[in-house]
Amino acid sequence: MRDPKDLRRAPRALDRRRLLQGLGATALGGSLAGVAHAETAHHSVADAPVANAASQLDSVPHLGLHQAGVVNPRPANGMLASFDVLAENVDQLEALLRDLTARIAFLTVGGAVPVLDPRLPPADSGLLGPTVHPDNLTITISLGASLFDDRPWLAPLKPKHLARMTRFPNDALDADICHGDLSIQICANTQDTTMHALRDIIKASSRQMILKWKQEGNVPVITPGPDGRAESARNFLGFRDGSANPDSSNTAEMDRVVWVGTQEGEPAWAEGGSYQVVRIIRNFVERWDRTPFGEQERIMGRTKISGAPLDRRHGSEFEVPDYAADPEGKATPRDAHIRLANARDEASRANTILRRPFNYSNGVTRSGQLDQGLLFICYQANLERGFVTVQGKLNGEPLEEYIKPVGGGFFYTLPGIRDASDYVGSTLIAAARGA
Amino acid sequence: MRISSLVGASTLTLVLSSGVFAQEASLDLVEPIADYKIYVSENVAKLVADTTAFTAAVKAGEVDKAKALFAPTRLSYEAIEPIAELFSDLDVSIDSRADDYEKAEADPAFPGFHRIEYGLWEKNSTEGLAPVADKLLADVKELEGRIASLTFPPEKVVGGAAVLMEEVAATKISGEEDRYSHTDLWDFRGNFDGARKIVELVRPLIADKEADFLKTVDANFNTVDTTLAKYKDGEGYVTYDKLTEDDRKVLAAAVNTLAEDLSTLRGKLGLD
Repeated sequence: MRDPKDLRRAPRALDRRRLLQGLGATALGGSLAGVAHAETAHHSVADAPVANAASQLDSVPHLGLHQAGVVNPRPANGMLASFDVLAENVDQLEALLRDLTARIAFLTVGGAVPVLDPRLPPADSGLLGPTVHPDNLTITISLGASLFDDRPWLAPLKPKHLARMTRFPNDALDADICHGDLSIQICANTQDTTMHALRDIIKASSRQMILKWKQEGNVPVITPGPDGRAESARNFLGFRDGSANPDSSNTAEMDRVVWVGTQEGEPAWAEGGSYQVVRIIRNFVERWDRTPFGEQERIMGRTKISGAPLDRRHGSEFEVPDYAADPEGKATPRDAHIRLANARDEASRANTILRRPFNYSNGVTRSGQLDQGLLFICYQANLERGFVTVQGKLNGEPLEEYIKPVGGGFFYTLPGIRDASDYVGSTLIAAARGA
Repeated sequence: MRISSLVGASTLTLVLSSGVFAQEASLDLVEPIADYKIYVSENVAKLVADTTAFTAAVKAGEVDKAKALFAPTRLSYEAIEPIAELFSDLDVSIDSRADDYEKAEADPAFPGFHRIEYGLWEKNSTEGLAPVADKLLADVKELEGRIASLTFPPEKVVGGAAVLMEEVAATKISGEEDRYSHTDLWDFRGNFDGARKIVELVRPLIADKEADFLKTVDANFNTVDTTLAKYKDGEGYVTYDKLTEDDRKVLAAAVNTLAEDLSTLRGKLGLD
């Protein structure tokens, strides 16, 4: 799927990143070749972050047609925080969005923390010291259906497919970790940076919104193999996750799969945005660890060691299974997770989604079992054709015995902050004012 | 008559493994699985009879009688859960819990045994439960019909012993299954009986080669029996809150160990 294009793109990705970092290759502590290998490997959302390659000077531009944090590679840490918004009118909502934009502009670029009179509380939590570095931070703002539904002045502008997340048959949703008026996805190299950003935003917006729930997660960092290629990160079931993700550095593909355009029948203000689906999916890991190895592979549809499809066990995770040659499911069972999720035929191309998941580990359940799983996040231009359709195909899959979605929500990721004078959600506010 | 026809009807599909235990997989499993089908059929027949009486009491507004019938009725369902769960739509409809619904007990979609349990114990009433009772009885009868025409997959039967222990380990040891009535120890009984039945049926096939394994498994089942026996009350058990913390730990360790050990049973029998 991605293979031939990877090599062509790699040098450009390297140049861009070096420019962003303002660093020469030697400053990264390795040979140019070594860095290039890492970059070759680390360019798509699915890929695991490369070990020892992260720097606190890494930065992702927060300005552009689209918000950051969707198609750029996942750093090692991610968080999803959901808020209830208090805004009662368009002025108050604009103020919130402008305040959020100001915090995004500071936090993702970095700089010195203001020093206040010591008789006052400090301006900053201090988690990152006197100087904030970008550390690959992205902050992505999305809106829930309830924000629109509860406000008559905003309701007519609700994106076409945005709805309160429905219950799927295997869900056991906990109301305390579901839905919300506004979601903030925060990704960075380190957990300190994501937590610093969240605390900064909470402090700055305390009059305007209230934290409802949050879930943190991470992506295991991987040392690239001898060929320089990083593999997809493993989830808590021990399988590689994301092998079939679309190539997020392919702009045309992202325009097709992720970004809402003018053709979708969406309100004009929504162009450049995307539908964000968040699912907190608990994994019953003790039970999974007691499941025969062969059955685990048949349930997932991939080999556990390499991630190769079951009809080409000695290949790599990036090879594409040939289901047409296996109509009875002898190699890959017809109800295997990856086969149901993506039939690899022309029709299922319309259901492609861009997954951006993080593993989470929260503690221990009342039954003394590990409370861990997947903070599943995905983006798509059409919620119905994307996640809702794919989940519909997965309903009843054998994997359900081992997973339980317990929380999450559907949100609409706002279009990008176009330039330094713009703010996130400006097109929505303009539409709400009838301008 | 009915039972012999069941045995005759059970067409068994044995899946031969290509794995390390392959040489042991054989038609030897035909008899244990036919016997297991009889066990399941007897239990589901009892489930239908008991549910008929239970739902009749609910519909007649006899709160005390319905409460008394609740736990014994569930016993036969719990014993055959690995097979009942093959029909996930019915399992949700019969045995899902309030946590499965976003609005929990207030959710109009919350059905089955636990919806009735909630009404009986939390509201001390059968108000509004008649349609829930009708649906439960219909679902249980539907389950009986589907099981009668089911070809029992050997790996599901043998794997069922571990599945029963997983059920206890994941959600029952905390006492959250029967959270209104606290009749969890009855459910434990059903789950352990169901798991032990499977072990007994396949025991002759592995008695020689796996003597140590069986000894460990038996010891853990005996620990469970001894512990549960302390809480016996008449035909059943005292409420779960009477279980001491020390005994809860003993049960939890036995359940986890049984889940670990019984998860190897399929492989030991050469099943894929």
